[in-house]
Amino acid sequence: MSELIQHLVNALILGGTYALLGIGLTLIFGIMNVVNFTHGVLYTVGAYVMYLAVAALGLNFFLAFPVAILGGLLLGAVIETVLLRPFRGSDIDTTMLVMIGAGIAMQSALLWIFGGVAKAIPSPFPETPLQIGPVSVSWLRLFVLGAALVLIGGTYALINRTRLGLAMRAAFQDADTAALMGVNTRWIDTATFAMGSSLAAAAGALLGPVYVVTPQMGGLAELKAFAIVILGGLGNVTGAAIGGFILAIAEELGAGYVSSGYRDAMGFLIIIAVLVYRPTGLFAKAERIG
Amino acid sequence: MPGRFTLSTAILLALTASAVAADPIRIGVNEPLTGAFAASGTYVVNGAKIAADEINAKGGVLGRPIELVIEDNKSNPTEAAAVAEKLITSDKTPVMMGAWGSSLTLAVMPKLMDYETPMLVETSSSGKITTSGNPYVFRISPPSSLEAETFAPIADKLALKKVDFLVLNNDFGRGAAADFGKMLKGKGVEVGLVETMDQGAQDMTAQLSKLKSSDSDTIMITSSVDQLVLLFKQMAALGMKKRVITTGGSQNPDQIIAQAGSAAEGTMHLTTFLPWMPGKTPSPEATDYFIAQWKKRGFQFAGVTESFRGYDGIRTIAHAIEKAGSAEPAAITKAFWSVDFTGLNGPIRFAKTGPAGKESGQSKPDVYLIEIKDGAVVVPTL
Amino acid sequence: MTRLAPLALLAALAALPLGLGTDPYLLNALITTGILTIGAMSLNLLLGFTGQLSLGHVAFFGIGAYVSALASLGFEVEVGFGLRVVHEPWPAAVGLVLGTLAAGACGYLIGRLSFRVRGAYFVIVTISFAEVVRLVALNWVELTQGPLALTNIPAVTLGLPGLGYWTLKTKAQNYYLVLAVGTLCYLVIGRLVGSRFGRAMRGLKENESLAMSVGINATRTLTVAAVISAAMAGAAGGLYAHYLRIIDPDVFLFATTVTMVIMVVAGGKGTLMGPVVGGLIFGLLPVLLRPVMAPEAQWIVYGLILIAILFAMPKGIVPGLRALGARRRPASPVLEVNPAVQR
Repeated sequence: MSELIQHLVNALILGGTYALLGIGLTLIFGIMNVVNFTHGVLYTVGAYVMYLAVAALGLNFFLAFPVAILGGLLLGAVIETVLLRPFRGSDIDTTMLVMIGAGIAMQSALLWIFGGVAKAIPSPFPETPLQIGPVSVSWLRLFVLGAALVLIGGTYALINRTRLGLAMRAAFQDADTAALMGVNTRWIDTATFAMGSSLAAAAGALLGPVYVVTPQMGGLAELKAFAIVILGGLGNVTGAAIGGFILAIAEELGAGYVSSGYRDAMGFLIIIAVLVYRPTGLFAKAERIG
Repeated sequence: MPGRFTLSTAILLALTASAVAADPIRIGVNEPLTGAFAASGTYVVNGAKIAADEINAKGGVLGRPIELVIEDNKSNPTEAAAVAEKLITSDKTPVMMGAWGSSLTLAVMPKLMDYETPMLVETSSSGKITTSGNPYVFRISPPSSLEAETFAPIADKLALKKVDFLVLNNDFGRGAAADFGKMLKGKGVEVGLVETMDQGAQDMTAQLSKLKSSDSDTIMITSSVDQLVLLFKQMAALGMKKRVITTGGSQNPDQIIAQAGSAAEGTMHLTTFLPWMPGKTPSPEATDYFIAQWKKRGFQFAGVTESFRGYDGIRTIAHAIEKAGSAEPAAITKAFWSVDFTGLNGPIRFAKTGPAGKESGQSKPDVYLIEIKDGAVVVPTL
Repeated sequence: MTRLAPLALLAALAALPLGLGTDPYLLNALITTGILTIGAMSLNLLLGFTGQLSLGHVAFFGIGAYVSALASLGFEVEVGFGLRVVHEPWPAAVGLVLGTLAAGACGYLIGRLSFRVRGAYFVIVTISFAEVVRLVALNWVELTQGPLALTNIPAVTLGLPGLGYWTLKTKAQNYYLVLAVGTLCYLVIGRLVGSRFGRAMRGLKENESLAMSVGINATRTLTVAAVISAAMAGAAGGLYAHYLRIIDPDVFLFATTVTMVIMVVAGGKGTLMGPVVGGLIFGLLPVLLRPVMAPEAQWIVYGLILIAILFAMPKGIVPGLRALGARRRPASPVLEVNPAVQR
């Protein structure tokens, strides 16, 4: 029993960052109709910014985190302006290929700059875990979960409570009508992509200190983000949040009770099963975001 | 135009210089410089360079300097085989060193048969390497069976009762679990779970949670240093208190101390080199020289437990070429059998192992158990 | 002119080893280029002619490689309930055929699925399929040796009873084998595209509801295209396994799919020659770039080239050149014998 509880606690903590990844990706798809193949690289970039800030510049851990988010925000805005704006109106396959090209180039650039050797980010948390009965949780992981939940809450507030969010929701419903009503859809696209990117970077900055940082770390994260988004339904923010936790539970229990080698296969099996039996996702209400 | 004049003079001088110097003997080095094992492979290559420079400073081998042709196998078996083929056919290296991991080495071995070129194996520990009947393989690292054999008396002293394994999902890890498991069972020690992990895996909490709730007293872990650091951190996060013993000799205890901090406290490691106490190594002067060179080049001390293999590997190859009297693959293969000198971790001489008629060479290095205590490496008194 | 170009290219490629001598490095680059080009041609059948963007194409390539290698190496696995399956080694040529068939069978599944899910969903499901297959290859150690790689895969032996056999061990022999299979695939695709079936495929791509209203069976057409495409990718994978004589789960890496996609998109999707031209350019580019830059820098260049082509020449090189030629000689009656193929 205590083993099961430990597995579920592990999953809860992982689920927070998975949800962040998924929400970022699903926002971009829902509003811009772009499948973002740079999402994994942005996750990696977040981790490297965190590494540079903490390990190389000696910045405080808690100050470095917002810096990493800001880095993702800026890089996302640049990608959207330089690479996606010229392709507005192109079909989804073309933008997908553009994003694949950008993703490959950026990941190789990271490998070129930082080399293949893994980097560790020191964290200020004590090594001794928090012990609740038979279950232990490290303080770092608790911080990761807390930060992820705050960011998820912030994203919800932004979408539901602000003018920008209102415009985003309008653009999601019908971009053309929104444009007619005076919504600057170009600005909405840039804002959406930057926001989605910053969430990916945040996830990377949070998991970087838990694991180690490598240029390839984003590849698997990106595929998991796809799984989460499909699970929740493309464009469905709540679905992505729940999907993140479901994937984490499936992985953790799969690794604990079936076979640890197939841990990463869980996400893909979920994708295939969902698409065969319920192609619109588990929470089919693609009518609105938020 | 004085500028042009100097330039062409320089070229002329360079040409004359290279004409005077004897043709170098090329030694292929096939190591992972990117990918999962990048850190270790880079250490080995840097150790190899120290050996090459030392040998060349003393006049080279057979009156010719040696030249290392270093290629990256990207921690991938297919790439390792391609690199071996390139080294043999394009670079014409008569002998090679490689390929760090067991899977990488096993992938290269058919190429050695195809082109009848010998390779010195400096790190790999799978038993299969020297028992599959490949007469071009000469290994200076201990296979896991040899490691297990050396560990047997230590196991008695530790009074182990039940042991779980957590190993890499490859020849290196699975081989260690099999060999150590067999040895322990023979002593009446119970063997519990055998959990595996991928070489690139970063989150092992699921496996660890499972091991945490088992009733064993000890976990034996076989992996490389980066994953060990993650494992110790994640074990601390789960509040695990079991005895931990790592095998395989790729642990870099100093890197573990630096990166895992207090999470590594009390962990034990089977290692093949004692750079922390040069006086206790089989040839203290050589160890001192090597460590001094390593530090002079500005490398991290943590790397020496890997890099000494590269150093000894190239020295072994140089001895073989010297004995062969020529830089031909066939002559070098034959000469490996008569190599006999003291390396940094014991005598290097090859014993025949594997099927009769096509034996591989296996040297028998020393194996030591060390413990991390108060952030430093000590040899535990048992 | 346009008709002669493929023949001229074939003649040039056939004569190439004679001119190059036996430089192993260049021949090796040409062989892997050829194998990837076959993969690109097969991807083009889906991506170019039916408009289905399959980003899991490397799965078929890898399945072909593993099935072919395992059939010729033999294996013994436990399949549950204490049952063991033992397979004695078969000749490599038989393995190649089996690999092709197995990949085709998997193509059938994906083809059926492609009709259920479209667009972004189809793309993601194909990627997931490739990842699952990779993880199986990595973890079913008893069968595939997992990360240890399958080694000692035999080279292909060709021959007829009574005429003698010969084993393709040298690079030059493998080169001609790849060239022969590549030419065969080219001809098959050419015939297919020029047929009624080809018109059905393009009809579906242009306007699905219109195509279906004139009686085109969409499910059947897409499935058949997927099966043929997957089988060809499987054949390429089999050639790869028996040429390198070692394969590991990294044959399923996404980067290989991306390479094929770049070849197709750059060369010109939906044209017969496009993937061949794209394949030769991007297969041999590493040879040119290798002395100048590190591999990771090469991949930066590839990514940027993909974006640049989508910007400047969205139809690809072959249609771009053709348009250029047509503009220069507007009066000449271009040999548009089969407009369907020229598209």
